[in-house]
Amino acid sequence: MFIHNYLYSLRLMLGNKQLVFWTLAFPLIMAMLFNMAFSNIEKSEKLDPIDIAVVDDSSFRSNMIYTETLETLGKGDDRIFNITYTDAGKAEKMLRDGEITGFVRFEDNEPRITVRSNGINETIMCSVFDEIGSESKLIMNVGMTEIMSLVKSGKTDIDYQSLFKEEAEKIMGDDTGLTDTSPKNMSFVMIEYYSLIAMACMYSGLLSMTLMNYRLANISPVGRRSTISPSKRLSQISGSLTASFTVQLFGLAMLYLLLIFVVRADFGTKLPEIILLSLLGSLAGLTLGVAVAVLVKINENAKLTVLLSVVMAGCFFAGMMGITMKNIIDKNAPFINRINPVAMITDGLYALYYYDSGERYLINVISLAVFSAVMMLISVSGLRRQRYDSL
Amino acid sequence: MDTKVIEVKELVKEYKQIRAVDGISFDVYEKEIFGLLGPNGSGKSTTINSILSLLKYSSGSIRIFGKEMTPDAYDLKRDIGVIFQEVAVFNELTVYQNIDYFCGLYIKDKKERKRCVEDAIGLVSIGDFRKFYPKQLSGGLLRRLNIACGIAHKPKLIFLDEPTVAVDPQSRNNILEGIKRLRDNGATIVYTTHYMEEVEQICDRIVIMDKGKIIASGTADELKKLAKTEEKIMVELKNADKDLTGDIRSLVHVADASLEGRTLTVSYDGGTHNIARLIDLLREQGVSYYSINSERPTLNDVFLELTGKELRD
Repeated sequence: MFIHNYLYSLRLMLGNKQLVFWTLAFPLIMAMLFNMAFSNIEKSEKLDPIDIAVVDDSSFRSNMIYTETLETLGKGDDRIFNITYTDAGKAEKMLRDGEITGFVRFEDNEPRITVRSNGINETIMCSVFDEIGSESKLIMNVGMTEIMSLVKSGKTDIDYQSLFKEEAEKIMGDDTGLTDTSPKNMSFVMIEYYSLIAMACMYSGLLSMTLMNYRLANISPVGRRSTISPSKRLSQISGSLTASFTVQLFGLAMLYLLLIFVVRADFGTKLPEIILLSLLGSLAGLTLGVAVAVLVKINENAKLTVLLSVVMAGCFFAGMMGITMKNIIDKNAPFINRINPVAMITDGLYALYYYDSGERYLINVISLAVFSAVMMLISVSGLRRQRYDSL
Repeated sequence: MDTKVIEVKELVKEYKQIRAVDGISFDVYEKEIFGLLGPNGSGKSTTINSILSLLKYSSGSIRIFGKEMTPDAYDLKRDIGVIFQEVAVFNELTVYQNIDYFCGLYIKDKKERKRCVEDAIGLVSIGDFRKFYPKQLSGGLLRRLNIACGIAHKPKLIFLDEPTVAVDPQSRNNILEGIKRLRDNGATIVYTTHYMEEVEQICDRIVIMDKGKIIASGTADELKKLAKTEEKIMVELKNADKDLTGDIRSLVHVADASLEGRTLTVSYDGGTHNIARLIDLLREQGVSYYSINSERPTLNDVFLELTGKELRD
């Protein structure tokens, strides 16, 4: 009887075009769309160096902070500027000829920027020089304070140049900057793929809910026919759920194959842990579908709306539509994401990929197992009432 | 025929303040076609669903094959087949697969199941459509598939809840003939409908329900005897200038006479040669007519007399 129910449940699911689309095809389409839409974003975030000119005169050379900073910004593969050091006349000609975005000349120790028009490069150039100016003032203030204290203490042989250089390194150098200590840099696209995997897991609820509706006498005529048969409910439901899980596994396998071999998403070296999390996520989705089918006493279409709303709300709170939302929820209402299976899946994936935290991953794995068990218990208690008040 | 298959005693089903089934009792005997007749909303389907243990009923008792019927009475369910009013099939499965699936809920053995499925397909004559999907079938064929799904496992007790609603005459006859064959093969059948002609055509015994109560029961002939009218003659007059109803009422055995438009209806409480006496009167009065028909009373007349309304009101 189990095999009979299992095989026909597979047929019922694969014969339902809407179900096949939402649970099997839709995640694949979304993965391809994400790939097309976002894969170039990170590449395009790298800006081309901006061509500028600096009037190389005594005024410029006397400004140590600017000379050293511009030298740093103009070298290396990740340089911001391609700098041409020249005289004022040539700089003006280069600007007229469109060879540079703008040029800078120093008067009274202050940079005077001349640009040809308004634009992104011009804005960046001005912003960078504003930033250098602010830093320069800070260094000057700190340096002057240091000199005053040295003078007060009676020291007379002060090496001003070394002192300012030392302060500049303290303020602008690597020692005081932010450093990236995570195993990998945060990838916006990977976050989207994680949310997509979580969504695909939760969509398994559509499979289980559809099959459960076929078993409930108060929802469908076929449910009535199944209920009056001598086939035990447990056998029917276990056959249906196993079939749902089979279809879900197939869908997940397709999604992972696409993500790994076509989209070239980088899942690192922890694929077994990721797969375990996905399986538990799918189980959570399946049991959620069963719970909605059994406990929500409305028609099939309304149940579908309820399930999709719950899943989409879960995705929203877990950061699928913007990671900021996940941060807001984690900060202000952490309880929501502790019972949100989508957040459990995505957080488990983050834990593996970004934080390298076994403990955090394990907590999410256990949370998903507990969530599934609770959903199943609630559903079974609802199913024990086999006679209905009305049909 | 004396073995009781179903025993219903004092069955009551209440929905909040509405009493859908109001203390009904009846027995159904082995190998009979038992008709449950009544207008829509009279409580027929509620009674069937209560008997099948799908519905929680308020009070009363229900026994099938001598045992109490409960939701987990799997040994009883094995011998029961149900054809619901709504078509209960899967659109994702073909005709054959649908019958095979539902039959498989009762019969594990594949070979036996295959034989049963083929028999059911033959019984309702849908052999040419076995690979069709339900959406490709006409309303009549869909109803036949619905029946095949309910009887493929060869049940001893079959419930048919309005199986001919929205069915063309050809399919209806096919279905009714099939039901008679099932009875002839040894099944007991409970048939609910609001079509009195069908009940008269196939049922051995009939219960008439209205507002959740049984208002009459017996064979079709026994029920018809409840009606005061034994014969009804209808005359379509060429013109209705003259009101003859007074003269007609004075004829022997005439219970009532009425004229509606050009149709003269005369009811008799007995007698013979009533039609000849009426024709004589019309000739004497010089009244011309197009047609004249004599009818025996129908179950609708019985229902009309018992409740004051038509069955299909």
